[in-house]
Amino acid sequence: MNLTDEQKEQGRRNFLKVLAGTPALAALGAAVAARGPLKGGPVKAAVIGTGGMGRGLIGQCQKEFIDLRAICDINPKRRGAIAESMVKAGWAEPKQYEDWREMLQKEDLEAVIIAVPLWAHAEIAIGCLDAGKHVLCEKMMAKTQADCQRMIEARDRNKRILEIGYQRYYNPVYQASYNNIVKQGVIGDVYFARLVWHRNGNWRRKEEPPTANFDPSKYGYPDWEHLVNWRLYKQYSEGLVAELGSHLLTATNWFFEAAPSAVYCTGGIARHNDGREVNDHVYATFEYPGGRTATFSSIESNAFEDHYEMFMGTKGTLILQNEIEVYLFPEGNETLTKVEVTKQTAAPIADSSATRAADAPGRTVNAAATPGQIDRNISYKNEIAEFCAAVRTGSAIRGGPEKAMKSAIAVVTANQSAEKHVRLDIPTTLS
Amino acid sequence: MLKRRAFLNLSGARPAPANGYWQHISRRAMACRFEVTLPLGNANGVQVATAALDAVERLEAQLTIFRDDSEVSFINQHAAEQAVSVEPALFALLQCSQQIAAETGGVFDITSSPLSQCWGFLRREGRIPTPDEITAAMTFTGNDKLLFDEQARTIRFTQSGVKINLGSIGKGYALDCIAKQYRLGNALLSAGSSSFLALGRGAGNGWTVGVRHPEHQERRLAIVHLRDAALSTSGSEEQFFEYEGRRYGHIIDPRSGQPADRVTTVSVIAPSAALTDALATAFYVGGKELAEAYCAAHSDVLVLMVERGEAQPVLIGQSNHCEVEIIYE
Repeated sequence: MNLTDEQKEQGRRNFLKVLAGTPALAALGAAVAARGPLKGGPVKAAVIGTGGMGRGLIGQCQKEFIDLRAICDINPKRRGAIAESMVKAGWAEPKQYEDWREMLQKEDLEAVIIAVPLWAHAEIAIGCLDAGKHVLCEKMMAKTQADCQRMIEARDRNKRILEIGYQRYYNPVYQASYNNIVKQGVIGDVYFARLVWHRNGNWRRKEEPPTANFDPSKYGYPDWEHLVNWRLYKQYSEGLVAELGSHLLTATNWFFEAAPSAVYCTGGIARHNDGREVNDHVYATFEYPGGRTATFSSIESNAFEDHYEMFMGTKGTLILQNEIEVYLFPEGNETLTKVEVTKQTAAPIADSSATRAADAPGRTVNAAATPGQIDRNISYKNEIAEFCAAVRTGSAIRGGPEKAMKSAIAVVTANQSAEKHVRLDIPTTLS
Repeated sequence: MLKRRAFLNLSGARPAPANGYWQHISRRAMACRFEVTLPLGNANGVQVATAALDAVERLEAQLTIFRDDSEVSFINQHAAEQAVSVEPALFALLQCSQQIAAETGGVFDITSSPLSQCWGFLRREGRIPTPDEITAAMTFTGNDKLLFDEQARTIRFTQSGVKINLGSIGKGYALDCIAKQYRLGNALLSAGSSSFLALGRGAGNGWTVGVRHPEHQERRLAIVHLRDAALSTSGSEEQFFEYEGRRYGHIIDPRSGQPADRVTTVSVIAPSAALTDALATAFYVGGKELAEAYCAAHSDVLVLMVERGEAQPVLIGQSNHCEVEIIYE
């Protein structure tokens, strides 16, 4: 998907582009979100796991929706740094815990955000649900279908909310793409989707342990390397298909209104043969009902294409690039339509002037910081706000574990396919 | 930075911020960007807006002078020899242009293209013409060079060399057309950042559009809340050339054959975008006197004008379809 600048500009003229700015509430869920926490107060919550993802989510928490009282991580250095940055950001100093069970016992919490390594999702999420907490758990949902199933059972027996962190559901660009483009038939019937997440680098993280003699073995990691680079080891991780691909696959399931029925996946450790167990290059073909197919590639040797979902329909092509830019290329003509999404604010939507050329930048005077333009963090913000609204008001969440489980099963099956070098049917869910 | 704001012609407060999102569907047409802005919740909005933008392309194919196969080019090629039959909507637009021309003392003139051509503006390559060139071009210019037969719905030119050019009304006309033909609902239509047509009330109190300062691109002269009304701006800050220290803008006064320079920028608010397009051009040429005379004779027209040498805009006329907030430095 190598678009020239001109093609991009033309593609922009055909679809959706979403840029950076200062978002606040949820897209279509804004009204719901607003009437929730505003009435019952912010949801009392904690975050378990303060690595990159946990830190990112905390950064998108809004105080009117969520009251972050405590954080938990087995790494004291990380949780200390997060606590410090939260205080700087205006939060009350959060209580710090190493053991999530102790935190649940001591803290008055309604909800927990879980952002720990994949293999620990099920145990902690089920523990929190059984303790009566609502749970927003990072993706992928869990490492096995059985674990996913157990999480759903825990949600049901405790009558709590369980949402999985597929933030595309909460991204107004994806909502517009699905509701206003795909569902309306603007791109016709889609038989092929290309899913790409390409990077040029090494997934391996380099970080010093919190202390020289730090020992994470009681938490299941034989040494610091296995903790800090858990993504590279099969005991903890399902690799690139899970960590990157499942986002794109879940969006495809959404847009296709289906889950894949079979997968063939290949790949290998092509570039970084550094002791890792998961592939650094993966290529998967997912078969969907109705003759539809999605291919996914993720490589660590070239970043030219970055990441995108491309839906190729009989009437047009829809490209969602890097979660913020959207291009629409209608089939069979030169018409190029751009669609953008901006947040409604009190500021002018556009500025009038002498007639400007078609390529004049920006629609408002301060185009570089146009009020209302949104960035991809809006999806995390919306996700957390709508999760809190669901806790307060019982309003619906957008993703949910049933959908997340289907995507997880497809990911796990893809990895089995790569190991066995064979096309595999994807089992249907137990429920 | 803003130091003081005055609220003029206002009914109340600014609209409360809304929680939703806008979707903007845009496409290049008529050498600028056409855009339809709708609430994100309008699920079939992209589809309808896309169809409306298709219609703009068809209108461009009819109205353009830059393609030999357009209806307007056909008229320009043949109307000097014989009466040319005109498509009904275009005929109505031509008659509307004649009416505005009559009401603006000939300042609005769709026949001034030979003048624009000799000043080099048709190809955006400005040049100083010789006095003889201007005199020659003016012999082809003037609304009296157009003869209409309403019964037969034909147009004829009084002489060869006459050409019509709908560049100063076509974008607004296109917005009016798609607003009538497509169920866009609550929508803001725009063309070239200079023509706007607001349908409905936007996020509540109106569609909020700024008026860009002509000399300081990062500033605004005013903020307008539009409800079921059009707004067009004319100025020369985008198309001009400089020669020997003097600046020549692209809007030519058909009476003198010289680039108009009495006004820095003018915006007009009225019910139709074709009308606001035409009036913005006319008032840019004719200045405050023409705007005042026109508004005295016509209701529901509001003009925001900055005359050359003046720092502040003046408001002329009135409109029940908007509030205007002037931003003073």
